[in-house]
Amino acid sequence: MTLLKTVYEKDLYPEIADASQSEYGRDCLALASEKLGRGEIDRRSFVRLAAMLGALPLVAKGSAAHAAGPKEIVVVNWGGDSRPAYAKSFGDPFEAATGIKVAQDGTGPLPSKVRAMVQSGKVVWDLLDFDASKALVLDADGLLEPIDYTIVDKNKVYPGWAYRAGVAFYIYSCVLCFDSSKFPGAKPNSWADFWDVKKFPGQRAMRKTPEGQIEACMMAAGRSTKDVYPIDLELAVAKVRELKGNLIAWNTGSQSQDVLRNGEVTMCNLWHSRAASLFKESNGKFNWTWNQGLMNVDVWAVPKNNPAGREAAMKLIAFTQDPSRQVELLKILGNGPVNPAAAALVPEDVKRFDPTQPEHRAVQAELNADWWNAPSGKGDKTNDTLAREMWLDVLSA
Amino acid sequence: MSAAVLGPERRAYLGLTAPALALLAIFFVLPLAQVLWLSVTDPRPGLQNYAELVSNPLILRIWTTTVRVCVVTTLVSVVLGYVVAYAMTRVSERHRGAMVLCIVVTFSFSILVRGFAFVVLLRSEGVLNSALQGLGLIGEPLRLLRNETGVVIGMVHYGLPVAILALFSNMRGINARYQDAARGLGASPFQAFRLVYLPLTKPGIISASILVFIYSLGFFIIPTLLGGGRVVMIAEYIRVGFEETLRWGHATMLSTSLLVAVLLVLAIMARVVDLKKVFGG
Repeated sequence: MTLLKTVYEKDLYPEIADASQSEYGRDCLALASEKLGRGEIDRRSFVRLAAMLGALPLVAKGSAAHAAGPKEIVVVNWGGDSRPAYAKSFGDPFEAATGIKVAQDGTGPLPSKVRAMVQSGKVVWDLLDFDASKALVLDADGLLEPIDYTIVDKNKVYPGWAYRAGVAFYIYSCVLCFDSSKFPGAKPNSWADFWDVKKFPGQRAMRKTPEGQIEACMMAAGRSTKDVYPIDLELAVAKVRELKGNLIAWNTGSQSQDVLRNGEVTMCNLWHSRAASLFKESNGKFNWTWNQGLMNVDVWAVPKNNPAGREAAMKLIAFTQDPSRQVELLKILGNGPVNPAAAALVPEDVKRFDPTQPEHRAVQAELNADWWNAPSGKGDKTNDTLAREMWLDVLSA
Repeated sequence: MSAAVLGPERRAYLGLTAPALALLAIFFVLPLAQVLWLSVTDPRPGLQNYAELVSNPLILRIWTTTVRVCVVTTLVSVVLGYVVAYAMTRVSERHRGAMVLCIVVTFSFSILVRGFAFVVLLRSEGVLNSALQGLGLIGEPLRLLRNETGVVIGMVHYGLPVAILALFSNMRGINARYQDAARGLGASPFQAFRLVYLPLTKPGIISASILVFIYSLGFFIIPTLLGGGRVVMIAEYIRVGFEETLRWGHATMLSTSLLVAVLLVLAIMARVVDLKKVFGG
């Protein structure tokens, strides 16, 4: 198995390295690409620097190359464990099948970078892996290629999760995870229990951003998993005020685990993959419930004028729809398969960790990205913008 | 002043500053102009982004938090820094050298390292709380993290060396015999300090306060790490605008308001003290 390597611009455009005439200019580029690799500078700065050092015309050459079919597709994710897992589940097989290399960039598909790239006309990413709501925000600004549903199969995705410019790639859930050692009797099993600090004492943690959190507020306020939407933001905020001094906020996935591990909180609204890894490392001391979990998806999206071309990107997306490949990803990363055919292929011992098993799906709610992207009625803000502001406000008030 | 009246030597010196000026123009002035431009053109031309400064109570609340945290940070830094700087003027040359070294060394620690170190130190099952509980001084762990206390502790750690150096450079120029003279004329030690020494250090206090306050305004990583989502300062809110909601016009408007705030502080201070002296000119 060839492990996918980090891709630098000099790999994408080998001509760049030879472009600058002077030793110094070459060294600048080499240094910058090292910095890029260490994350000290961002890709955009790198491209700018390359342009200033006279390597710019060659960046344009890269796009001429794909007339003859791309050599490489650059997939952007958040790095870490995703890298080997993506390589194993679809990167290497795709390269073996088509001869097109799948390179990964683990710096993270920040929407701001996508916007900067597309607007400056220097796109170096082909396939973005992020939240459905981000895809809708970027699509509304005209920054994404529409998904070609003649190549990508809508039927290989649970209904509702194939958008105009983003198609679901895996499912993850925001679940209630708890420290069972702190609750010797009954275990918490709903968001109402999360709010019940008398019956289940201790601090709580929710995410710093509102996705999956305001939905939990709705269910705590008595809405069923089927009628979480439309969300009443005022009500969500009021529910947070109820918890007030008993609530802390987590920022990164690892923080969401730390606050449970170090005993700061007894319950946390976090991602099921994080809950599963806590469960495994603690031999069940930390456990979670699927009940009233919120299923959300990460989607594939393609930035406008991606270097490998739209068609190649679509082919790779279609390739990742294979159910057995998605089960592979579930086994390594815990990401729930989005192809309905995959649930039955999941091995018995992994089913417990799969948010898409029928019995788990039945008790969970689904995130509605369309609500998130709809106008809020307040100014020209979407629900997404308004929810973020109100959430930030109530957490920091 | 035209180039013609400059001597060849001065012209050469001016020439030497040209690369630095060019660098500033390309990497500072130009992007800054872009920020200002975006704030009045995105998503559409007009001042609607600035209108939100008044109409959106969230911005006001975030600004209030920012100013409150920065004022507290400045006060604590300057008071603590005053004591240290005063001590530095009274110790032997060798000790002074060691003290300056210790202060300067803190600048070389990455802000992330410091931030995470404070998390380990301050959290409820962290070093500090365990020690205090072990000594029987406190029953329940103190809440030092994920609130303004934590943010102020982290920011003071940054502001303190700045305050010390600013105060020290002022105090070094004060002749210690003034206090001796005051004592000789019958003043108590406290009177000699309050009536003679303290007024002489006023420029130092003001310059240290300005430096620490301005420095604190744009803090991002410390509030994010130690505030744990419960303390949101302006820099964090700017990030939300750029990264999460993609409202660049809104985010650049906030950046501009931050810039204006800094200039405003400087302008007010310029009426009170000679800014040239503050920045060692």
